[in-house]
Amino acid sequence: MHTTNLNVSINKLSKIEGHADLDIRIRDGKVEDVSLRVMENKRFFNQAVKGKPYNAVPQLVSRICGTCSIAHLTACIEAVEKTLSIRPSAQTMLMRKLTMYSLMIRDHALHLYYFVLPDIFGVDSILDLAEKEKELVHQSLHVKEAGNNLSNLIAGRAVHAPFEAVGGFSRIPDKTKFPAMIEELKSIRPYILALAEILYACDWVLIRKTDFVAIKTPDFSFLEGFIASSSGASIKEEDYWDHLHNVVLPYSQASGFEFEGHPYVVGSLARVNLNKDNLSAPTKRDMKKYLDIFPSDNIYHNNLAQAIEIMHSIDHAIEILSTAEFKEEKPAQPESLDGEGVGAIEAPRGTLYYWLGIDKGKVRYANLVIPTAQNLISMREDVRDAATKILACEKNDRSCEEKIRKEVEKIIRAYDPCMSCASHFLRVNWV
Amino acid sequence: MAKNKKRVAIFSFTCDEGCSIYLIEIFNKKLMEWLEKIELAYFLSVKDKVEIKDFDISLVEGVISTAKDKKEIEKIRAESKILIAMGSCAATGQPSGQRNLFGASEAAEIKTELEANDYLPKCLSIKEAVRVDDEILGCPIDENKFIEVFEKYLI
Repeated sequence: MHTTNLNVSINKLSKIEGHADLDIRIRDGKVEDVSLRVMENKRFFNQAVKGKPYNAVPQLVSRICGTCSIAHLTACIEAVEKTLSIRPSAQTMLMRKLTMYSLMIRDHALHLYYFVLPDIFGVDSILDLAEKEKELVHQSLHVKEAGNNLSNLIAGRAVHAPFEAVGGFSRIPDKTKFPAMIEELKSIRPYILALAEILYACDWVLIRKTDFVAIKTPDFSFLEGFIASSSGASIKEEDYWDHLHNVVLPYSQASGFEFEGHPYVVGSLARVNLNKDNLSAPTKRDMKKYLDIFPSDNIYHNNLAQAIEIMHSIDHAIEILSTAEFKEEKPAQPESLDGEGVGAIEAPRGTLYYWLGIDKGKVRYANLVIPTAQNLISMREDVRDAATKILACEKNDRSCEEKIRKEVEKIIRAYDPCMSCASHFLRVNWV
Repeated sequence: MAKNKKRVAIFSFTCDEGCSIYLIEIFNKKLMEWLEKIELAYFLSVKDKVEIKDFDISLVEGVISTAKDKKEIEKIRAESKILIAMGSCAATGQPSGQRNLFGASEAAEIKTELEANDYLPKCLSIKEAVRVDDEILGCPIDENKFIEVFEKYLI
């Protein structure tokens, strides 16, 4: 029988977005408690958005998170537009797709190269890779730079993109730069295939029988569609909130969510599981071997799914840049200045939901559901299960602690949480 | 060899971490060149935590919003030869110190939470909290300005 008593504490988890601490309490060989605490100090966005003009709020909420700023900006713009009956043009929607693709390329690349590869190769940092793997460092920089350049070209900048606004973009992109951009995107395709091969060969397994939830978009563009789940749900974006249940997690500074009464998982794995048929043709052709393993219950396949999404983002961006005509146009205008509405998109880490109320052009309230909050319950359960499993087969307390520490960090990184976002769930103000 | 390299540390206080994310984008072009001259001694986005000790250049983003963070920035200051306030929050206190600008009703809403969690009455910019040697404005930092200021300290 085990009599292990241990407190495994990790103060400031590294190689994730934002700050979080983790404490696992083990008594008599049993995991008593897992507490994952978001260690972000509050900036009180709930109060800050109140009374602000509708067209200023997207840039304000962009500051919720530097990592996913484009996702917050885009989701909030959509919510404002739905609320005030603003109809963005087809050209605007194409530019938003390109902007989202630029985000996916950069953000997934950061997660995979900087956070995940060190775990796979058993080093502290990507910069510590052995000489024969050093090429991966150069490849990571090229991939991220291509995403960064695409953000610059379409939206003005990768973080707090200045050109993306309510009703349309404030500038049209410089077409003379398209051929070079297309060439750059093409040049990183082999790197993504090499990255996918590493993730495919990685033998980590963490099976979670769960419900996967994502917005199913007809062109896998992360923007518009209906919310689907592997349990068969098909929900309009504006009705999503009605299917969610907010769970307060003690000591965490964040709320978790259940979908239709059970824990669920959002993000790349959910999207590829539910919607792989709608990926772009070149991605499907060149990544067939990797796509064949989806749908998958292995949480670590979230990493491979991210690599697939980078490839899709490259391929669909190339297609749009090669075919679309961009001309000067005026931003679409509001039909009213009052109402409430929902904007929902797929952020890098999963479904991002904005619900706004606007009165006389000023925001009265905002309610958000962010991806990390939706994965929090599953992530905690997986940390608990992993620690329990290690306890069952390890006799020595010290090696047990070391193993738990390594394993749970790996699991948390696979979920790719964003703690900056997790700390800023805005509660509904029922007024 | 390694002894001559500047030990660079990057710290995030209360903010969206947009500057350090943008710094990683600046790395795309500059990292390989800079690694000839610097060692990334502390950067949680890239490597595990190490002791706060003996840094040549510390780049600090965000605002100071709790008493605990105030102590930490003081320690960082004491352990850094050069400390650079990175971005608008660090240099001016805004936008992350937005609660400083709240009207009476919003301020009343957050009062209990502030007091229960050891928050300072007002957020401080890094400049207000400790002495800084230089600053780079922008939300996020401007790429060219960052390169210009940072490289001054690599000579």
